Amino acid sequence: MTSLLQSAKKSLVSSGSDIGERIDGLATAVDAAGGRLSDELVDEARTTVERAQGRLKLSADHTVVGIAGATGSGKSSTFNALTGLELSAVGVRRPTTSWATACVWGTQGARELLEWLGIPDRHQTTRDSMLDTRREGQDLDGVVLLDLPDHDSTEVSHHLEVDRLVVLVDMLVWVLDPQKYADAAIHDRYLTPLRSHDEVMVVVLNHIDTVPEERRESMVEDVRRLLDNDGLHQVPVIPVSAKLGWGIPELKAEIAKRVSEKKATRARLEADIRTVAGKIEAESGSAKPRSLAPARVEALDDAIAQAAGVPTIVDAVDRATRMRANRATGWPLLSWVSALKPDPLKRLHLDLGSAGKELTGRARTSVPAPTAVQRARVDSEVRALADDASTGLGKAWQESVRQASVTHIDDLNDRLDAALGDTDLGASRLPVWAGLIRVLQWLLILAAVGGGVWTLAAYVSGTLDDSSTPHVGGISVPILLALGGVVLGIVLALVCRILVAGTARSRARRADDRLRSAVSEVAQDLVVAPVQQELAAYSAVRHGLDRALA
Amino acid sequence: MTTPQGSNQGSSANPTPGGAAVGATGAADVGTATTRMVTALVRLRQALTDVVLPLDLPGAAEQRASQTELVAQLEDYVIPRMTTIEAPLLAVVGGSTGAGKSTLVNSIVGSRVTTPGLLRPTTRSPVLVHNPADAQWFGQDRLLPDLERVSHSTNDPKALQLVASESFPVGLAVLDAPDVDSVEEQNRLLAAQLLAAADLWIFVTSAARYADQVPWSFLRAAAERSTAVAVVLDRTPADAVQTVATHLARMLASRGLKDSPLFIVHEGTVSDEGLLPADNVAEVRGWLDMLAADSGARQAVVRQTLEGAVRTVSRRAHPVADASVAQAQAVTRLRHDAVAAYDEGLRAVLEATADGTLLRGEVLARWQEFVGTGELLRSLESKVSKLRDRIVNAVKGKPQQAEHVQVAVESGLELLILEHAEHAAERAEAAWLQLEAGRGLLQSSPSDLGRASRDLRRKAERAVRDWQQDVLDMVRSEGEDKRSTARFLAFGVNGLAVSLMVVVFANTAGLTGAEVGIAGGSAVVGQKLLEAVFGDQAVRSLAERARKSLEVRVRTLFADEEVRYLDVLDNLRIDPEAAEKLRQAARRVDDARYAARIAGS
Repeated sequence: MTSLLQSAKKSLVSSGSDIGERIDGLATAVDAAGGRLSDELVDEARTTVERAQGRLKLSADHTVVGIAGATGSGKSSTFNALTGLELSAVGVRRPTTSWATACVWGTQGARELLEWLGIPDRHQTTRDSMLDTRREGQDLDGVVLLDLPDHDSTEVSHHLEVDRLVVLVDMLVWVLDPQKYADAAIHDRYLTPLRSHDEVMVVVLNHIDTVPEERRESMVEDVRRLLDNDGLHQVPVIPVSAKLGWGIPELKAEIAKRVSEKKATRARLEADIRTVAGKIEAESGSAKPRSLAPARVEALDDAIAQAAGVPTIVDAVDRATRMRANRATGWPLLSWVSALKPDPLKRLHLDLGSAGKELTGRARTSVPAPTAVQRARVDSEVRALADDASTGLGKAWQESVRQASVTHIDDLNDRLDAALGDTDLGASRLPVWAGLIRVLQWLLILAAVGGGVWTLAAYVSGTLDDSSTPHVGGISVPILLALGGVVLGIVLALVCRILVAGTARSRARRADDRLRSAVSEVAQDLVVAPVQQELAAYSAVRHGLDRALA
Repeated sequence: MTTPQGSNQGSSANPTPGGAAVGATGAADVGTATTRMVTALVRLRQALTDVVLPLDLPGAAEQRASQTELVAQLEDYVIPRMTTIEAPLLAVVGGSTGAGKSTLVNSIVGSRVTTPGLLRPTTRSPVLVHNPADAQWFGQDRLLPDLERVSHSTNDPKALQLVASESFPVGLAVLDAPDVDSVEEQNRLLAAQLLAAADLWIFVTSAARYADQVPWSFLRAAAERSTAVAVVLDRTPADAVQTVATHLARMLASRGLKDSPLFIVHEGTVSDEGLLPADNVAEVRGWLDMLAADSGARQAVVRQTLEGAVRTVSRRAHPVADASVAQAQAVTRLRHDAVAAYDEGLRAVLEATADGTLLRGEVLARWQEFVGTGELLRSLESKVSKLRDRIVNAVKGKPQQAEHVQVAVESGLELLILEHAEHAAERAEAAWLQLEAGRGLLQSSPSDLGRASRDLRRKAERAVRDWQQDVLDMVRSEGEDKRSTARFLAFGVNGLAVSLMVVVFANTAGLTGAEVGIAGGSAVVGQKLLEAVFGDQAVRSLAERARKSLEVRVRTLFADEEVRYLDVLDNLRIDPEAAEKLRQAARRVDDARYAARIAGS
């Protein structure tokens, strides 16, 4: 059903679309496919593009008609019969024609075209319709008729010349004869591969005069059958006898009809482009261009973050904040003890302070290297990402996506290390309130010490219970000061531990966010971006092919 | 009109008297020499069939075709001809489609035995014309064994129509072969096979055809193996005969066929029977009659072709042997690549399970939860921590903790195995992709060899669990008599098993730097614990056994993966000895050839 719709769409679009657009499409597809699809195919497509562009630049008023066939089939006789001149040597010694001969009707602009075809001056003849008094000469105005050498003789140089010109001409007239029309040399090497060019081909069955009259029809039918086997259903078969002039007017009319429509050049180029674009499509796959699923990228970021030791660092941030803030807000007389413990962040070389950084330059961190298991997890996430991105694409693309996903994987550790080292963890400064609490703690200590001294003095002077010492609620102020200072200090330290835990958690969370965004950036650079580049190339090929095949 | 080369016909047909001149004593020698030769040829055929060239190496397709051709020629022609040297001479009429082979055969025979036609290609099934007296020579058991004999006209290319004609001389048979160059591929193959079975080629060409490439490639092959060839120029307009015949004769001379007779059959009105006037073919028919009558000349033709064929077969066997060697080398290299890829994967897994890297991350965290907190790790031996462990364990429930470690170990190991198997598959694929032969094998393989096999995950899970079970069993059996000790009870089988696993993971002495700090630290705890229960000698042997058990399991998993690649290679059934056997067989044929020449001369 879809294929029906597609084909309907194709034929509708093709009637209005421009050949230049197709060439452009193919050219973009070729550029994007370079280095990704197989080299031979890309080269072939590039040659096709260049050839098509070259032909389009040249005279659009001329149609190059090549007469090709086996040796002895009568190519040269047909050529002579069409031109009305004895231009090409005819003979019984095989092979007769060794080089291509051209005959041009209407010289305007034909010079460059013949140069492009590589036909030297001495093998060119001009039939200017102005000078040609015969009426049919005008029908062929704008024709460049080429008599090609044979493709099946022992002279291999002839085959090469034929192979060169067959791809350049706009229209092909294949000359067959009753002896050779079923040769593998012509069917397998030329007609079947040119299946998609049936719009620009005509088949001529020459030497029809040598066949008994009652057998002619069945022979033409047999030729038809072989052509159908080759897939050339559209190609007309014209029985002619170049020697006796039978069928030559029909052949001339057929050529004239095609030439006057001025479609042959385009049709030929279109067929070329369609063929090669079809080949690219077969290798590249016809799946819709895809983009990466965000969930996949997240999973990859997560795996890399684990491997990079983000949880370790976050944990260290949490503990370092706790330790530092607790030291600041703890009861000063005891908090010095915690200074004996190493600072977790310093241990990881992540927070050396400005002096430390200056000393070491960009020091490597000492975050533990990823374990085999973590590395394996990163690898399997990368693989899953590549697999996910390339599902449905051609084998070559799957390979190129896979390649792209792992090309920079060796840099991952270095880049991650640098990224982590550069990330501001936000754990170096103490929170403002911790500073205030520290002042308060010292004030409380001061009060406690003051109260103690006062109590001692009052006790020595015996005025502790006197009214000279102020009392609040029955307890003397010095004692209250001393005890209160100590108790409040301890209580405050305990309360602050809860606050510190909260701060540490929030700082850890913030560090986690920053680290993960740094990791994600690295993952983007090293894995995601290359994969996306491949997907973009695929998409370019796909769009190019769509334009070329539209 | 005289044939430019026609006068040569006699001289080429009987260069030496051949076997007819051999004396009575010589006959016995010739007999043994022939037997030796036949034995050598049968061996060569066997050696040729034993060679397989399945890989797409450069030039392999060519040698494959050559191998089939050689086997076919030995079976169809050389061996049967060698055993019955006195059989009638078989002349195969071959050539392009449309050159007039069938008309020529009919005209030579003098009656319509094969169907000519205008529609190409005409002859599809070959027709053999012989004298009724010679009928016994053309049975399926002797000549062209894979073509079925029929007595009526057919279009089946696997059949050979036999026509007995009284008008044909005894001692000679003519075979009308299909064309060598039409679109029907089967015709071309059959024609090549028939021509390889001929004692004499009668090559038919026409004015339009005589410079075609395809027939000339056949003629060149005939010249190379010195097959006797006669060329017939057919369907040539009277005014062109002189030019064409001269040119054709020159072409024949320049391509090593100057001794081949050239006959000209003039175009004439074809009768209703489809026959040319007898005069037109009189020259050809006369030559054939003469050949049939002169047994010496006939033998000479047979010997020339047969000797040429034997020489070519033994010579062409060597490139086939070379190709076979190349195939064996390619297989060795591919095998080496695959094995290296998987060995590296296996090594990486074993290393990662032994160097303590597995003891970080998840496993370490769970392990530390199990033995106590990380901070107090070092002071496990102190009483405080012991007490504390007891309390913590009692509160948290120890078995559960041990299970956590187990699960962590399981998932870590699994991931490790899977990933390295994937890597190995990729590496092996990449190595194979570098060779054309490897590319072909990868493409034709039904499963995706570039990835680990589908059920590897399941198998890896299973293997890791089995191993854990193994370790449990070890600990259980080792602790049989220590069941009642306090420590055994305190940690339980699970706990001790987990400790053993941890010890295994940090088994090597090659730990460095930070790893000793982390992995070594945790392992020391496990080691101490186990030693306390079992004693240090037992712990060492336990760890060794557990490690072996793990290694065996991982090795099996990787071997199963690797075997997918190796199976592809094994299925090719390339015998590295085949090339040498073939060379020996070819040499033996050469020896027999020289022996026969000495005996015959």
